[in-house]
Amino acid sequence: MAAASVYTPAGFDFSNEVRNSFLTERGIPLPKATSTGTTIVGCLFKDGIVLGADTRATEGPIVADKNCEKIHYISESIRCCGAGTAADTEFTTALISSNIELHALTTGRKPRVVTAMTMLKQMLFQYQGQIGAALVLGGVDATGPHLFTIHPHGSTDKLPYVTMGSGSLAAMAVFENGWRPNMERAEALELVTAAVSAGIFNDLGSGSNVDACVITATHTEMLRNFVKPNERVQKERSYTFRRGTTKFKKEDIRSLVVSEDVIHTGEAMDTS
Amino acid sequence: MASADGGAYSYSLTVFSPSGKLVQIEHALAAVSQGTTSLGIKASNGIVIATEKKSSSILIDDSMIEKVATICPNIGIVYSGLGPDFRLLVAKARKSAQAYWKIYNEYPPTKVLTQDIATIMQQATHSGGVRPYGVSLLVAGWDINRGPSLYQVDPSGSYWAWKASAIGKNMVNAKTFLEKRYNDDISLEDAIHTALLTLKEGFEGHMTEKTIEIGVVTVPSEADLEAGKIEGTGRAKATFRKLTEEEVRDYLAM
Amino acid sequence: MSIMQYNGGSVIAMVGKDCVAIASDLRLGSQAMGISSHFEKIFPMTDRVYVGLPGLATDVTTLHHQFRYRLNMYTIKEEREIEPETFAHLVSSTLYEKRFGPYFIEPVIAGLQKTASGDFKPYIAATDLIGCLNFAKDFVVAGTASDKLFGVAEGLWEPDLEPEDLFETIAQTLLNAVDRDAYSGWGAVVYVLTKDKVIKRELKGRMD
Repeated sequence: MAAASVYTPAGFDFSNEVRNSFLTERGIPLPKATSTGTTIVGCLFKDGIVLGADTRATEGPIVADKNCEKIHYISESIRCCGAGTAADTEFTTALISSNIELHALTTGRKPRVVTAMTMLKQMLFQYQGQIGAALVLGGVDATGPHLFTIHPHGSTDKLPYVTMGSGSLAAMAVFENGWRPNMERAEALELVTAAVSAGIFNDLGSGSNVDACVITATHTEMLRNFVKPNERVQKERSYTFRRGTTKFKKEDIRSLVVSEDVIHTGEAMDTS
Repeated sequence: MASADGGAYSYSLTVFSPSGKLVQIEHALAAVSQGTTSLGIKASNGIVIATEKKSSSILIDDSMIEKVATICPNIGIVYSGLGPDFRLLVAKARKSAQAYWKIYNEYPPTKVLTQDIATIMQQATHSGGVRPYGVSLLVAGWDINRGPSLYQVDPSGSYWAWKASAIGKNMVNAKTFLEKRYNDDISLEDAIHTALLTLKEGFEGHMTEKTIEIGVVTVPSEADLEAGKIEGTGRAKATFRKLTEEEVRDYLAM
Repeated sequence: MSIMQYNGGSVIAMVGKDCVAIASDLRLGSQAMGISSHFEKIFPMTDRVYVGLPGLATDVTTLHHQFRYRLNMYTIKEEREIEPETFAHLVSSTLYEKRFGPYFIEPVIAGLQKTASGDFKPYIAATDLIGCLNFAKDFVVAGTASDKLFGVAEGLWEPDLEPEDLFETIAQTLLNAVDRDAYSGWGAVVYVLTKDKVIKRELKGRMD
């Protein structure tokens, strides 16, 4: 777009690269970005797909967000769970969602899961793994239910039950033990919850609550904070400070209420 | 020297005629006024945009023709003039809306998108090696800031906000008709009927759901606004939609 | 050493009852050496949107101007003031543009969001240096004292604090956290935003 310069050209801007790699050469490493250590899962059942995710985001050993959303919207009946570098999962899925919407508008058809999968894998492959997004993509389209995993380098798998992220081993153990073909919705949801919970309780990179999403041919149900096994209990007492505790040197109060006095002077203007 | 109608100034797009006209833009407007009639009416609780879909032969499969286009969930447009030019503008407008969404996580207000389209159309009036777009557009949309708004964009890149407007072959008659029929309190339902009646004025042949296309903008309810984005999607409810053939048929039967 | 610690500094934002607060220290250092005790890292973007930019000081200035420019363009083009949530996404996409050569800043956004009924709803958010947004219902922190701030805020914050109580809570959280951070301190500043006024207070803090 040639319009106003707030629309920056598509793609990444490398203008700080020289400075930053100079710092890296001098032994100052790049700071860490937020990552979603993460347990994300998906499983096929009789009528569609159930996706699941924990809600912890970490910055090294610090829990940066206790209740983040890892099930991203692609289209009405396609959703995508993201693990890895949090910003990458967020922006990659947003970009593909945007492209899928354009695709749907031009074709006049409901988008297919393979289309989203192909767009994602081509983009991730192009960036040679530099975009750290590990994804579980699931949805239902005209050709039925589909479930994929997409790795940061762009490889994909199509399986009836999948897990990703640092908690994937714990979650997969639950799936290997409990998954059966043609499960009912309730059974599938219960299994996904158990798989994510295994990640939450056994993997340090995963924690807090279980988000789930049930996608069928006719309906998508987002179950945000479906289970909250780690709710903080009410504090034993209040820790507020008495007003006036904190000493301050200077105070500046700016009123946002605009008031004005209208003073009538002389005759009204002759407008005839 | 070139022919009589525009003289030597009719070929080079970027040269003013001594009278201060850019003749190619005049020609583009002529192309618009040969196009099928389209109109838009802003009602108290929404907007309707409508057009006739005329094919030159009964052998054409008119189910494939799309003249009312969704740009993004809150904005739709309709055109009169050259179909292929419209298609290109639709693609560019959709891209612009998505570019905006990727920055702000919300779709552009109607005015901003209209300005973007107008900028694209204006550029074609002073760039080398191109001709102006041979279309006029009616842009209808809803946003939180200005509510429902209806704009017309012309080949020159100029745009205005309208309460009701018509473009294309029958625009003069249609506008006169709308001036008589329009009032500020008109409801969306009434506006849809007025739109159909206006189109009927200059319609050659039979008006059916196959030969009419309608798009509507609805104003979200207080409850919808308070609820904000739809849970789990991160998106607001769509406010623009095209009427289905069944719905158009029902309106025609009424 | 990380480049994020080169100049030092921390920011915190908290939600209260129909109000928000954002606070930062005032130190600008060059590693262990103190340079200034008046280095403000919180900037008003509109009357009801404030942004805190802890990190490398050169990028604090660059990004502040970048955001001001983009915001002015927005305000002129759209003929309206930006809402905090929209601004947060603008910050996020601006940072992600430089995914492979980032600015060393972790912005904190605090503001009052206009609702459909005309009221104001508290809004806070923080992003990492490449623009991953973190919305929180309670508080967000960033900067060299972030891990300490997390701990103190987790203990002291409670829901529905009135503006004056929110001031005490955020001020005490900040002062006590930066006292255990060598790179932050040298005074502090607190902004409390309510629907009809903005209160700015400069706090007395340790100067060592």
